[in-house]
Amino acid sequence: MQEQKLHKITEEELIARLQSGDAKAMSVLYDMYSATLFGVVMQIVKVEETAEDVLQEAFVKIWNSFQSYDAGKGRLFTWMINICRNLAIDKIRSKQHRVSLQTRDIPASPRADMGSDNFKPEHIGLREITEKLNPEQKQIIDLMYFEGMTQTEIADEYQIPLGTVKTRARSAIKTLVKLFKGRE
Amino acid sequence: MNNTEEYITSGILELYATGALNPQEMREVEQMAASSAEVRAALDETLAALEQYAHAHAIAPNPSLKSRVMQQVEDEALEREALAAIPLRPAQDSSPYRWMFAASITLFLVSGILSVYFYSQWKQTESRLAVALAQDQQMAQNFNTVSQRMEQQEVLLRMLRDENYRPVKLQGVASHPDANVMVYWSPEQQHVYVDAVQLPEPPEGKQYQLWALRDGQPIDAGMLQLNGQTAMQQMKQIGAAQAFAITLEPEGGSQNPTLEAMYVMGEV
Repeated sequence: MQEQKLHKITEEELIARLQSGDAKAMSVLYDMYSATLFGVVMQIVKVEETAEDVLQEAFVKIWNSFQSYDAGKGRLFTWMINICRNLAIDKIRSKQHRVSLQTRDIPASPRADMGSDNFKPEHIGLREITEKLNPEQKQIIDLMYFEGMTQTEIADEYQIPLGTVKTRARSAIKTLVKLFKGRE
Repeated sequence: MNNTEEYITSGILELYATGALNPQEMREVEQMAASSAEVRAALDETLAALEQYAHAHAIAPNPSLKSRVMQQVEDEALEREALAAIPLRPAQDSSPYRWMFAASITLFLVSGILSVYFYSQWKQTESRLAVALAQDQQMAQNFNTVSQRMEQQEVLLRMLRDENYRPVKLQGVASHPDANVMVYWSPEQQHVYVDAVQLPEPPEGKQYQLWALRDGQPIDAGMLQLNGQTAMQQMKQIGAAQAFAITLEPEGGSQNPTLEAMYVMGEV
């Protein structure tokens, strides 16, 4: 997690540079976050070309609307991932993706094998995470975090009681918090 | 404290962290986090965990994507700069001083042209007025001359019609055969007029004088206003005469006629 610490040191400076309209700071931002954001987008759109389009669109939107980002209110990553997620969801809900969305199956282990080819070992965790999280918990988290589904939508679509969805989401995140807290 | 604990365990922070909240709900969570350190810590923990979870799923995009993204970012940056620069220029151009300066120059030029135009018009009018005034004067003079002549003609006509007037033709003497003058005399009214004067131009300092001869005695009948004009002229009153004569005398006339200088003479 050394890389992560390095990011945090420069994050304030980076934000200041981006808010003053420094285009070179975008290059730094891209290097820091493109892989993570691309991973998230891939989880949603699943097609690499589409994911690239979405990521490009997302970085341009980040650049253009950086004035509206308020560091006091929320984390930079949260703000950026929301932009990426919204654009990716807009994409899959557009005409081209309708068909695949409707015919989608419920994967047994939904996202575990997604992007496994390109998986970056230095961030690790994925295997470790899957060991700690049971499949039900992971499914809820992935549907919420990567697919942007609400808990109600998940309950309806997967025939799981809303209370169960909420419990699983909370326990999944608790597990994650514990998992990463030890590392920082 | 209880409320804070409740809020943290309600599950809303997880919803926030997974992006499941709408913007309004997100703002509410941010406000809560801003007002409570505990909520803030719990939220940060949750966000960090999910951020790590996302990192765990990281996939490096195709390296060529970066240059595409940066190209578009730079294009947008240039566009933004251009857009930011554009509104400044018109603002400078439309500065009131610049506008007023242009307006004053225009006004100055227009007023200059107009004053030249009006000045020439005025000059033209003035010269036309002078011409008109001169013509008017000429007309008045002409009218005076005509009316004077008319008067004389009327007088002459009256005399010719009047039986009391006697026309006396003064014939040129031997030394001046071409000279002759008409005298109209009314013995009753004692009026004497000379007309149709045909005498040589008098030399400098000399003047013609009319004499009435009564019983061999010459009586001064006045000086002729002979300035080349042949208009009729009324002379001094004469009550009785047998003849009239004209002599050339020094200017102002003489007591007695200079007989050697007699030009014309005629008997009544």
